[in-house]
Amino acid sequence: MKTVVIEHLARVEGHGGITVELEGDTVGSVRFDVFEGARLLEPLVRGKRYDEVAAILSRICSICSVAHSLTSLKATENAFEVRVSPQTELLRELLYRGESIESHALHLFLLALPDYLDYPSATALAADRPAAVLLGLRLKKLGNSIQEAIGGRAIHPVNAVPGGFGRAPAVEQLIELRNGLIEGVADAKAAIDLMASLPAADFCHSDTIYAALRANVDSYYAGDEVAVVSDGGQTIVPAADYRTLTNERSVPHSHARHSRFQGKPFMVGSLARLSVNPGRLSGSLAAPAARLDFRLPAGNPMDNNKAQALELAGDVERALEIIEQLLRARIRDEPPAPVHPRAATGTAITEAPRGLLIHSYTYDGEGRILSADVITPTALNAASLEAHLRQTVEQCAERDDAVIAKRLQMIARAYDPCISCSAHLVRRR
Amino acid sequence: MSKPRVGIFGLTGCAGDQLVILNCEDRLLDIVALIDVRDFLMASSENDAACPLDVALVEGAVASRRDAERLRAIRNRAKTLVALGTCAVWGGVAAMDRGADRRKLLEEVYGEAGLRYDAAPTQALHEVVKVDLNITGCPIEKDQFLAAIAHLLAGNTPIYPAYPVCTECRMLENNCLLIERGELCCGPITAAGCNARCPNLRIPCVGCRGPVADANASSLLATLEEKGLDRQRIAARLATFAPEGVAQRS
Repeated sequence: MKTVVIEHLARVEGHGGITVELEGDTVGSVRFDVFEGARLLEPLVRGKRYDEVAAILSRICSICSVAHSLTSLKATENAFEVRVSPQTELLRELLYRGESIESHALHLFLLALPDYLDYPSATALAADRPAAVLLGLRLKKLGNSIQEAIGGRAIHPVNAVPGGFGRAPAVEQLIELRNGLIEGVADAKAAIDLMASLPAADFCHSDTIYAALRANVDSYYAGDEVAVVSDGGQTIVPAADYRTLTNERSVPHSHARHSRFQGKPFMVGSLARLSVNPGRLSGSLAAPAARLDFRLPAGNPMDNNKAQALELAGDVERALEIIEQLLRARIRDEPPAPVHPRAATGTAITEAPRGLLIHSYTYDGEGRILSADVITPTALNAASLEAHLRQTVEQCAERDDAVIAKRLQMIARAYDPCISCSAHLVRRR
Repeated sequence: MSKPRVGIFGLTGCAGDQLVILNCEDRLLDIVALIDVRDFLMASSENDAACPLDVALVEGAVASRRDAERLRAIRNRAKTLVALGTCAVWGGVAAMDRGADRRKLLEEVYGEAGLRYDAAPTQALHEVVKVDLNITGCPIEKDQFLAAIAHLLAGNTPIYPAYPVCTECRMLENNCLLIERGELCCGPITAAGCNARCPNLRIPCVGCRGPVADANASSLLATLEEKGLDRQRIAARLATFAPEGVAQRS
């Protein structure tokens, strides 16, 4: 028997590795190991007041700190039945789009692109293809400029609070963002062209089950039903029943607790969002989708990269629309909606850049946390990632370690794992 | 002159300080032209994990035996070791648990398997190895990071503000959240450098940059108590990001 080991997965957030055991042509165990230190943030927020929770739990992850922060606020507001203003809803969605633009650009250009073109890093790639890397950096910066202006900081936003925002952005700030986004439309189109020019990555075929928020509006932040899609059929899971999605179970070989829906692994993220809401590919995304030869149902997990590129284009467009809307409605500085704590449980599910993110809190009558539960996309994806890693090896005709190792890493990166995010659920070794 | 060899590492944390480096979009290619980045796992799949380094930038806290071993190995390779961010400098949010029964928490989150995990009480880097420079912040501020790189390239040590967030906030002529509104603002004891990001948005400072050198936490505590705030709540708020640091200064 031999093993293929990727000791420390590079170009991802956090610390993880892959181990595959091969017995001749038979694939033995396939493991995605996580060796992130335990931070135990969920029990640590116990006793914290409702207005302190988001700032602490956003620290679970930097790349999706806006998603953690806003999902946290939404869970708290759901518990206390706080109704936020339409302006707050729009600003939050804009903030979400900003994070998604930054996150997708970071992943596509700095983490994934080097694999397709056989470079170790984006900075090495920049020596030969500076335009491609500069394009990615411009898009990334565009996303950060939105997070700075609306969230008050690019990482760990400070401006979003229970009930609304500390201070609304000034009209001049929105106009500056609008100017950046207008240039961003052309850049997003160039990103699609670049993605379309890459060599095909077609080495893992799988009948994947996808789970994402079913949204009647195109938003990462709205919606409270998760749809699970497999073989053309849909199952709906209301937010309050999220545990049916995350009924973690122990895996004998690893002590891991993996998420399964009706006994099967499922994938969350960009590809899942488009699979659950295929309507998003009509309209302005129809041409880019055709350009990328992107088709549903998607049977290749590498298509998550294409899905991110499509979302990137959609996000830039939608962010522009939101800004126009805010300007038309004459954005004004308004105090956050009043918050009246009470003993209650609140759950929120949103779409973080990497997929479904769930925060669920129980509060006492004083507005202090009694218990907190956070389920992250990377944790939800762990079982599906292992299944796809296995299929990648099984479908690899060449029994060459270097080829297998490269494909395994490309599949793992296509999931865009955020390993510090996998706060709990996944095994540490 | 040969370019200084640099390694960028993350221990247990959110990777936010490494992300701040990657967020220097306008400077990133200039930076890599001036320094020789030999080991940066988050951004490259080709790393030299053993070469001597002129500068090691380390973010995150030490939260396992594995972290401690990695940090010692990094220290042995590096002439200058820089602690990047509040977790590395002070322990950060995960250090809130130092008084808690860790085994109980591990079991609560991970079940019985948690008891077998490699997990230790969260420590700042300086509690494990010698640290040559601290750049605090949760996350670090981009301009402070760029200044540090410029200074280190010139053979100098950067100097950061020795005054609190409160001073920056007053220069912006904001109304005082603490005095005028009786809000629990950590501005008076928190290290400046963020240009009062939160109070400038009318949001009280949560102390994410850790205490300023001459922080007078007991005086702040007294002021807040006069405002009618509960002592326990104040103490817990002050201890969120840098419990040890605040304890030493009260």
